[in-house]
Amino acid sequence: MAAYILRRSISAIAVMAMVGIFVFLLLRLAPGDPAAIIAGKSATAEMIAGIREKLGLNDPLPVQFIRWVRDVLGGDFGTSIFAGRPVLDLISQRLEPTLSLSILTMILSVTVGVSIGILAAWRTGGLVDRLLAAFSAFGYSVPVFVIGYFLIYFFAIKTRWLPVQGYLPIERGLGPWFVHLVLPTVALSLGFIAFIARVTRASMLEVLSEDYMRTAAAKGASSYSMLFHHALKNAGVPILTVIGISFAYLIGGVVLTETVFNIPGIGRLVVDAINNRDYPIIQSVLILTSGLYVLINLTVDLAYTLIDPRIRY
Amino acid sequence: MTISRRSLFKTGIAAGAVLSMPSVLRAQTVPPDARTVHMVKVGGLTIFDPVVTTTNITLDHATAVYDTLFSLDSKLMPQPQMVGKWDLSDDKKTYTFELRDGLSWHDGTPVTAADCVASIRRWGQVKPGGQLLMARASDISKKDENTFTIVLKKPLGLLPTILTQNLYVMREKDAATPATDAVTANVGSGPFKFNHALAKPGASFTYDRNENYVPRSEPSNGLAGGKIVKVDRVIWDNIGDQQTALAALQAGEIDYLEGPPADFYPVIESDPNLALQVLDASGQVYFLRMNCLQKPFDNVRARQAVLHLINQAAYLSVISPDPKYSSTVTSFFGDGNPVSNGENTGWLKKGGDPEKAKQLLKEAGYAGEKVVILQPTDWAEASNTSQVLAAELQKIGVNAELAASDWGGLVARRANKGPVDEGGWSIFITSESNASRGDPTATESLGARGETGWFGWPNSEEYEAFRAKWADVATLEERKALARKMQQVAWDLAGTVFLGRVVSPIARRKTLTGLIGMPELIPMWNMQKAS
Repeated sequence: MAAYILRRSISAIAVMAMVGIFVFLLLRLAPGDPAAIIAGKSATAEMIAGIREKLGLNDPLPVQFIRWVRDVLGGDFGTSIFAGRPVLDLISQRLEPTLSLSILTMILSVTVGVSIGILAAWRTGGLVDRLLAAFSAFGYSVPVFVIGYFLIYFFAIKTRWLPVQGYLPIERGLGPWFVHLVLPTVALSLGFIAFIARVTRASMLEVLSEDYMRTAAAKGASSYSMLFHHALKNAGVPILTVIGISFAYLIGGVVLTETVFNIPGIGRLVVDAINNRDYPIIQSVLILTSGLYVLINLTVDLAYTLIDPRIRY
Repeated sequence: MTISRRSLFKTGIAAGAVLSMPSVLRAQTVPPDARTVHMVKVGGLTIFDPVVTTTNITLDHATAVYDTLFSLDSKLMPQPQMVGKWDLSDDKKTYTFELRDGLSWHDGTPVTAADCVASIRRWGQVKPGGQLLMARASDISKKDENTFTIVLKKPLGLLPTILTQNLYVMREKDAATPATDAVTANVGSGPFKFNHALAKPGASFTYDRNENYVPRSEPSNGLAGGKIVKVDRVIWDNIGDQQTALAALQAGEIDYLEGPPADFYPVIESDPNLALQVLDASGQVYFLRMNCLQKPFDNVRARQAVLHLINQAAYLSVISPDPKYSSTVTSFFGDGNPVSNGENTGWLKKGGDPEKAKQLLKEAGYAGEKVVILQPTDWAEASNTSQVLAAELQKIGVNAELAASDWGGLVARRANKGPVDEGGWSIFITSESNASRGDPTATESLGARGETGWFGWPNSEEYEAFRAKWADVATLEERKALARKMQQVAWDLAGTVFLGRVVSPIARRKTLTGLIGMPELIPMWNMQKAS
């Protein structure tokens, strides 16, 4: 197991290095100039040139790249071109909203998705199963921003039950924190609930048709015992895989949701950074995100051993 | 151990109280909602130093935090602001300025003449008006703690106006920063203090009323007069999505929304709690610039063809569908400015003049050279008008094509003076303040200095000779006469072609009143909020 984790960690470093090189080159080769954006619409060429020189953007690409790699290896992810603050400070400032939204979304998606999936499989062709089919089509096909605007219209503007936008840190009170996250969490979760429920249903149906399930039924096992002790455990590996994939996809969904609900998280940070060509922020967020992807995959792989003792690394 | 329902309930109450305690404590230091204004501005505030950038949101920030030596009143005339008394020598070459009483920095130290001198020197390195002043000044120095002088090589009648051109006074130690490095201390002497503790870059910035600010005794008048702050706190919320911002305005979560898209106007007008208000009645002029260094627009006839082709009404219908907020503009110096005039404007014809344009193109010897129009896809107005322009040019036989990129990409490419095959360009569309076009010393796009000038690089020695005199003449009548001569040359030169003038209302809740209307800047004093 330890050797496996070590091997995966080394591969994670390689993945992050590749991402780093790719992102660095992509950003430098794409059109756009942070100096021109800093200087503004009516700036003169001299103003822009002065800022470029100051930012070191006139140096040859290899020089810029080596300087950046040296800094990153030394733990310095650079300073935001616009905010003038260390990138890691800015990222840590934005971490709480994104983590809050992501964790609440996963809790809602997994609990509701798995529950609906089990129910639909247990009563195949029944009302829950048919509703799940309709809900899945809806959840897959309607973009998160459309759902977001609908939720805002009904629950914030019409009824005034919930705030339209914004985020309050958890230190300002659990209630206000939660209230600001209800709509974005629901908007972001619908697609994942549909995804997890469909996979849970399919996986459960496969297990429920196994011989050992019929044996359990013949031996008089209760429905609860059959579903949760026998079926769910055996159907767990694909469900866990899909939860892991969902967590990884969540990072993409968070960007859009944070924009629609004006949540100052990592997603907004990177969108603003891309618009402004704030290279250090984009590079750092993408490298850290790639590391997170690898970590999630590793965690899922290790979790398989808890569900299925036959799996060994 | 057993847990009773009652003990569980008590524990829950206690836990809830503990969790909500920080918000209770904080509530004692946060101004009440009725004294706090939430504003959503266009774009996000990323640069805090008005010397480094020309972006409006930075100038709004600076207008709140810093004070100015002179300010423009509602008629765009310069009035003393930080300056108490000032004097001009008989030979009109030495200005003496004395600071008024009561000026202090947000850190509590007094504002001195040395701060003013250092600020003028830094600003003078990069801003067009400042560069002109520095070229003309033989000495700028302090006389005593409250007095400084500007000694000129020759008279400069425009000096008080030049000192209103985004010259924000900073502490001497901040003004010692190189002009290409942004000052981030945000310590000014203006009516608002920047709240560093609550600054969340990309999310929100907070400005608190400067309780030590001593306003002038005159009534508020444009940017001039007494700057009386009537709220305790102003928060700039950075809501990236306009639809969300409108919803927040409707729900009362914000009080002010800058630059709502035109398709929101009916929704805002139908909401009894909201109002549209034009603060910048002067508005923005949309215009195109042609690359005068490369074919086909290195030929003046080809540029004149575009001037005669453009039907401003068609472009205005794309930029601002509601005619209430748009108008055509013919004066090179903008519409409604003191020096605006009708010289050499015979090119304006309803519906444009494609036949005349074709004739001029033929005279220019146009041979089907590719015309590349830079299209900024992240700026709807400029992007849509670029498409209209491409279609109009194609209709008269021009080999026009669009080069789509975001604004950042456009800005990078427009610096390329080479031919289109080597990454150059032919036309780009942009906008600028209509009011700023009234002053050719401060506005780069009003120059014609060729390759040393602004993007597009039109060149006319005759025009530049007139422009050089602008700062020397003392009276408005003299400037008006000069403007007519300059416009005669400018429309023949045709480096710039107007697409129309647009005013953009802001949206606000009706509980927010007292907003001051000025070109480009949105000052935050004087406004108040009813509960």
